[in-house]
Amino acid sequence: MRERVIEMWNFELRRCILKLIMALVISGCVPEKPWHVEEVTGHLPDLDFSLTSDSERLVTAKTYKGYILLLYFGFTNCEAECPISMARLSRVVQLLGDNADRTRILFVTLDPAHDNPEVLRRYVAQFDPEHAIGLTGTTGDIQNLTKRYRAAYRSRSKIDKTNDITHGDAVYIFDSQGQARLLATSGDSDENLAEDIRRLLRDSHPLR
Amino acid sequence: MDLLYWFIPWEESVVVVAATGVAAILFSRGCARSQPQLRQKVYFWMGLAFLYLVSHTQFDYYSEHQFFIHRLQHLVLHHLGPFLIILSSPLSILLLGMPRKGRHLCRLAVRWKPLQYLAYVLCNPIVAVILFSGLIGFWLLPSIHFTAMIDWRLYRLMNWSMLINGLIFWGLVLNPGPVFSTHLSPGTRIAMMLAVIPPQIVLGAMIFFASRELYPIYTICGRAIGGLSAIGDQQIGGIILWIHGAMMSVVGILIVVRKELMPQRLLTKRQAS
Repeated sequence: MRERVIEMWNFELRRCILKLIMALVISGCVPEKPWHVEEVTGHLPDLDFSLTSDSERLVTAKTYKGYILLLYFGFTNCEAECPISMARLSRVVQLLGDNADRTRILFVTLDPAHDNPEVLRRYVAQFDPEHAIGLTGTTGDIQNLTKRYRAAYRSRSKIDKTNDITHGDAVYIFDSQGQARLLATSGDSDENLAEDIRRLLRDSHPLR
Repeated sequence: MDLLYWFIPWEESVVVVAATGVAAILFSRGCARSQPQLRQKVYFWMGLAFLYLVSHTQFDYYSEHQFFIHRLQHLVLHHLGPFLIILSSPLSILLLGMPRKGRHLCRLAVRWKPLQYLAYVLCNPIVAVILFSGLIGFWLLPSIHFTAMIDWRLYRLMNWSMLINGLIFWGLVLNPGPVFSTHLSPGTRIAMMLAVIPPQIVLGAMIFFASRELYPIYTICGRAIGGLSAIGDQQIGGIILWIHGAMMSVVGILIVVRKELMPQRLLTKRQAS
């Protein structure tokens, strides 16, 4: 009886290993074309937030369902990375041509005490008034969002006030269903980023 | 108020609270029932406190966003914390702290065949050394490290695997008595501690001397401490792995030598008994 159980168990184990090997071989034989920028599908959670837009409306992730979203954290007083990144993102959106309307750039401020909706509206309008949207909210809401996407940020009030806000240069890219798909950095070229976004657009259903 | 703020967990984890709570309760109950030495209590509470502080306070924010602080966190999770806990020989105290049913369950679990096989494999000196050094190297592979730092589930798996592996390794090499019926001589245990030094030195040196950024995730997601360059951060992290990781082995070896291999101490012990 005992031997039979062991035999059966061995058989099951062998079948499992065989299946695993087959799966590996198949996945290795049919390589999916890699993305140009870093793929993060399944590793970062779906988009979820509740913030105030630069048109002073309360918006959530659902508001932008159907759009490919490029999420960037920054602040309007930032002199180095933010303007460069925003200019670049608007260039990438221009590269998309007709598809630009299915894309939105979300600029989430890390300095909500200074960046009210009006300041944000003026700021994003310099780059792309049609496709870029500034978002602000309470420090708690913003910290929750940065924490969700592992972006370094701690609300200013709790640490040294004179400290400059430190932040990364990540652009989080979400598909039309709000699923985190790609993570772009300043090292990726505009063309590559645009190509990846086009691929996401092709994969997702057309808007409405 | 400001001081308390540092103790608020950056990311709450029920598992960390539960594990720390259960360990603390069992140990205090066990202490009440037996009279452990003060030294044992100090080691245990220090080890447990260190582990909790690096994994469930604002410190965790810095470990997520600064490479060298991440290395410090792992130094505590993989080396210092388990090392101190094992030094307190807590097993008998924890067992005494359990309710009768729990102790019975533990006894059953120890007799359970699959667990015995697993323990047999894990207690093999070569397997233990490979696992200990391999795990450090595995989580430091640039692509693995990248994913572990963005995926919170992998991040927790990484930290837990380091802690559990640390407990197993230091439990094997610092414990003079048999572990799961595996008895290792002091010489074998010293050799094991020596064997994990070179891999840590090589890894630490490779990170320290790397001329390019190996772990760009910290730049992408932002560094917690401004004013420190990516390479600078990486070099401090490399030094921590290089020197401090290997240093723990030396401390462990000294402890084994002093406890078990000094003839004078053995003689006085025998005379005393």
